[in-house]
Amino acid sequence: MIASLLAQAGDWTSPSIDWAALAPEIVLAIGVNIILLLDLQLAETKKWAIATITGFVLLGSFVAVVVLAVTGDGARSLFDGRYVVDDYALILKALFLLAAYVVVLLSQTELEEGGYYQGEFYVLLVCSVLGMVMMASARDLVSIFVALELLSIPAYMMAAWNKRNRKSNEAGIKYYLLGVFASAVLLYGMSLLFGATGSTKLTDIGAALLDGDLIGLDVVAVVFVVCGFAFKISAVPFHQWAPDTYEGAPTPVTAFFSVATKAAGFVALMSVVFIAFPGADGVYQPLIWVMAALTMTFGNVLALRQTNIVRMLAYSSVSQGGFILMPLAFAGEPGVGPAALNAVIVYLIAYAFMNLGAFAVVIAVTRKTRSGEISSFGGLFSYAPGLAVAMTIFFASLAGIPPLAGWFAKFNAFKAVLDAGTTAAYVLAAIAAVNTVIAAAYYMRVLRVVWMDEAPDGDTSPVKSPAPVVAALAITVLGTIVLGVLPNLIARAGAIDALTGAFAG
Amino acid sequence: MSDATFLEFVVFFSAAVMILGGAVGVITMKNPVHAALGLVLTLFGVAVQFVAMQAHFLAAVQVIVYAGAIVVLFLFVIMLLGVDESMDLSIEPIPIQRPLAAVMAVGLVGLVGAAIVRARDALIIAPGDGIATAADAGTHDANIKQLATNLYGDHVFAFQLTSVLLIVAVAGTVLLTRKWPKDVADTESSDA
Amino acid sequence: MLALDPILEGPLLWTPLFIIIGKVLFIFVVGLVATMFMVWYERKVVSGMQNRIGPNKAGPFGMLQTLADGIKSFFKEDLLPTRADRIVFRLAPFLAFVPAFLLWAVIPLGGDFSNGNDGTVTWFGHVTRVQLADPPVGILWVLAMSSIGVYGIMLAGWSSGSKYPLLGSVRASAQMISYEAALGLSLAAVLLSSGTLSTAGIVAGQNSLVDWNVISTGIVPFVIFLIAVTAELNRPPFDLVEAEQELVGGFNTEYSGIRFALFFLSEFMNVVTMSAIMVTLFLGGPQPLFDIPVIPGALEGTIWFLVKLFAFLYLFVWLRATLPRLRYDQLMDLGWKVLIPISLGWFLLLAALREFSPDGDAAESLRVVVISFVVAVIATGLFAAALKVSARNRAAANQPADNTGVTV
Repeated sequence: MIASLLAQAGDWTSPSIDWAALAPEIVLAIGVNIILLLDLQLAETKKWAIATITGFVLLGSFVAVVVLAVTGDGARSLFDGRYVVDDYALILKALFLLAAYVVVLLSQTELEEGGYYQGEFYVLLVCSVLGMVMMASARDLVSIFVALELLSIPAYMMAAWNKRNRKSNEAGIKYYLLGVFASAVLLYGMSLLFGATGSTKLTDIGAALLDGDLIGLDVVAVVFVVCGFAFKISAVPFHQWAPDTYEGAPTPVTAFFSVATKAAGFVALMSVVFIAFPGADGVYQPLIWVMAALTMTFGNVLALRQTNIVRMLAYSSVSQGGFILMPLAFAGEPGVGPAALNAVIVYLIAYAFMNLGAFAVVIAVTRKTRSGEISSFGGLFSYAPGLAVAMTIFFASLAGIPPLAGWFAKFNAFKAVLDAGTTAAYVLAAIAAVNTVIAAAYYMRVLRVVWMDEAPDGDTSPVKSPAPVVAALAITVLGTIVLGVLPNLIARAGAIDALTGAFAG
Repeated sequence: MSDATFLEFVVFFSAAVMILGGAVGVITMKNPVHAALGLVLTLFGVAVQFVAMQAHFLAAVQVIVYAGAIVVLFLFVIMLLGVDESMDLSIEPIPIQRPLAAVMAVGLVGLVGAAIVRARDALIIAPGDGIATAADAGTHDANIKQLATNLYGDHVFAFQLTSVLLIVAVAGTVLLTRKWPKDVADTESSDA
Repeated sequence: MLALDPILEGPLLWTPLFIIIGKVLFIFVVGLVATMFMVWYERKVVSGMQNRIGPNKAGPFGMLQTLADGIKSFFKEDLLPTRADRIVFRLAPFLAFVPAFLLWAVIPLGGDFSNGNDGTVTWFGHVTRVQLADPPVGILWVLAMSSIGVYGIMLAGWSSGSKYPLLGSVRASAQMISYEAALGLSLAAVLLSSGTLSTAGIVAGQNSLVDWNVISTGIVPFVIFLIAVTAELNRPPFDLVEAEQELVGGFNTEYSGIRFALFFLSEFMNVVTMSAIMVTLFLGGPQPLFDIPVIPGALEGTIWFLVKLFAFLYLFVWLRATLPRLRYDQLMDLGWKVLIPISLGWFLLLAALREFSPDGDAAESLRVVVISFVVAVIATGLFAAALKVSARNRAAANQPADNTGVTV
């Protein structure tokens, strides 16, 4: 028996693992277990500590990312190139962790006052973030799919967090059903892709697609994969779940969905488009072009008609998704690739700050007004000038007014599209320009209510915001302004250019 | 391996009939229990296809996990909740839905079918081409060893993180089925 | 084509084909005879334990009683309840019966394992095994078939359109799923020590008493496997599925005639097959303890196999005759809170020993065991503390402690 065991042992060599490169993920995975264990041991009155610990876990992971970024020289490639930790991955990991931290700050009071189960919430949140952090490095269909499920499944439950609320249940079930459907479509595309190319590794797929003509099977596979991700980024026509889910889910969770989950979808799409599909640009470019145009238009037109602020932000988030998607429609044009990648990443970062900020203001205000109607924001300036100013900054940034982060992001996206220099590019840029104007209309409408109108119920007692929400506001305001004034900070994300070359080459 | 023999055709097509028949059964059966049994038929057909492709381990796991655990749980829930009455499937709240779905389905089948037929010449996939099958390696446990090397070698990180997914599933299930604390105010109206 | 049997290597000739057909027939007959025997044996042993005589009219020692009962049941009226689901009601007995039969395919019933032989025998000039097939996933086949067997019971109860059978089948599915986990985990311990899934390989690995898996995995997986199998078989003390006092007759209340007989037979056949599987997994199957003189090696394997099998058959009857039935919450507690954690912990311990003490060095092994023990104590402590805290939290919320046990 021993002999047979030894013979087996001979076949097997364990993979060499660069543990340092996996540090952020490992910190999060251990953190999940610590939170879970502590939650069981803490009495109900001490549950607030969980939020603090979650913050520290995210911070620990963030430190690991920063250390990797500072000390790392070049990309670290694990498992034969299936898991890569490079600048692109690190900057996105940092983004996810930061967004999650802000969400923790926003949820803390909400959960305590709502009497929601706190421990489980943070466990699911950290698991979801773990999936996102993994997604940033995944360069293999298997890891991408596992990461996608890991970030989605906790999200389904978080959407249905408020079990007493019918709308929250509706949000959860809609998100779940459509998310699972999207996963199925994606998986089908992936299996066709694997069947056609014989590999799950993105670089191998890229090489196989570049090699020779594209056959029908490849085309179907590429379309399915792109559509699968389109659900996650709520691109029209795969957006139907978004408004209902965003409205029904607890507001901090909505902030998380509209920023982090969406960014993760974009990250997956970018990895696939830039590494695996350079040979299929004739297929995905028109597809993304149409989706981007539809997404921004539909999102905006519907946002114009909303009277509920969260629903309006939901549609605005859909339309912003269209802007983020726009550069990817020309990712395969010669010379545009690096600019497109840079534009998307810059947009994602800027969007994270301003959208989280907008939700933070909404949370702070609705704590007092207990209403989600836009009209209930009337007279905000008279009784909460700080919040009113913050809100102005975020909405102006979302509308793309200089010198805020959103302006720079939009500028970058337009630049990348115009770089392509084709008719299709000019048409899309024109559509985007029109949409920018429409978007400005409904953002300004809210701001007019905030600055001009009277408080609807005459209640002008000041808003008392809890410290975590104030901290979240501070982070997001700072981010939005600094990125707008000193765009070079994230234009440094242009150092990713070098990497795009490695991708596409 | 030699060319496909008559026996292999028989196995393939009978399994294909099982898969498709079961799948059609799942969506057309009026009784949820019958639909679940249709699902079992489909899963069995897939297991047979796995065996025909020499993926014995996958076939066994397919039967154990899907037929043996997941559908049994489906049935358990159907029986426990008492939703095992036959449904009238002719009621349709959104009238356009079904014709549209039919058109979509036919279109999709045509598209994928055409793509596969066209791909036949472009992709020369002989048994063992691209993916080393157990038959090549020869030994008894080759199939399982190969799977293990793959899972614990190249995909070990994704494999390990799947365990986090299990934690999520457990925590989430406990949470969704747990009773809501009594003293919490109803938040129906106040949610922004 | 498949490495199912050495006989299939090389061109397919008539002789191997007949050998295989012969094996199929043999197993079919053995399965039926063993089942009939088991029914008689159980009645006889139980009656002996209860100081009764038991069946004694039909044939010598009443051995043909089962046959007589079987013939009788053919002529009984085959009832179909009005509210029954006709197709499923008729399908269910076969879903229970067929997997029980198919399990026999992978059990090594004999063969020459003495002196480290690999168990193959030569019949008519062809090398083969004394088992129908030796698929690479042998033991998973067992799990697959036993999990299909659940359908028979579940669907029988549901399709009867009557409440007691339904309760019985809901209980059955919950019970079987719960114990399948413990069963699989203790099985994993065996696989860890054998390094193969093939049943012939597992038997071949146990070529001396210390290598028998019951010893080489430590006794714990064996005990857990035995308990879990008893539960899977719905045998007393886990026979809540057909608890007469609570559920009339359980899932098969509405069945009569030959369909009832099929359920009855499949249950007893499952007892025999599961005993055979335990012999294969833990007691070395046809591996001899010592060499019996005169008798040739191949036959000797069968004799040893039967001896071990009888030990288990007697054990099952013994359990039935002596143990009272568990309550449903006790059943679930035992499965989820005792068996699964222990089997998981034991599996981890075995894995740790394999990893950190590969040569079986005593000092290293001791260190691993001590560390594992400390870890287990900490884990148990945390679990106990968590229970205490949650009890206090519940009390603080001023809620009546809700009973988490499933009440079905």
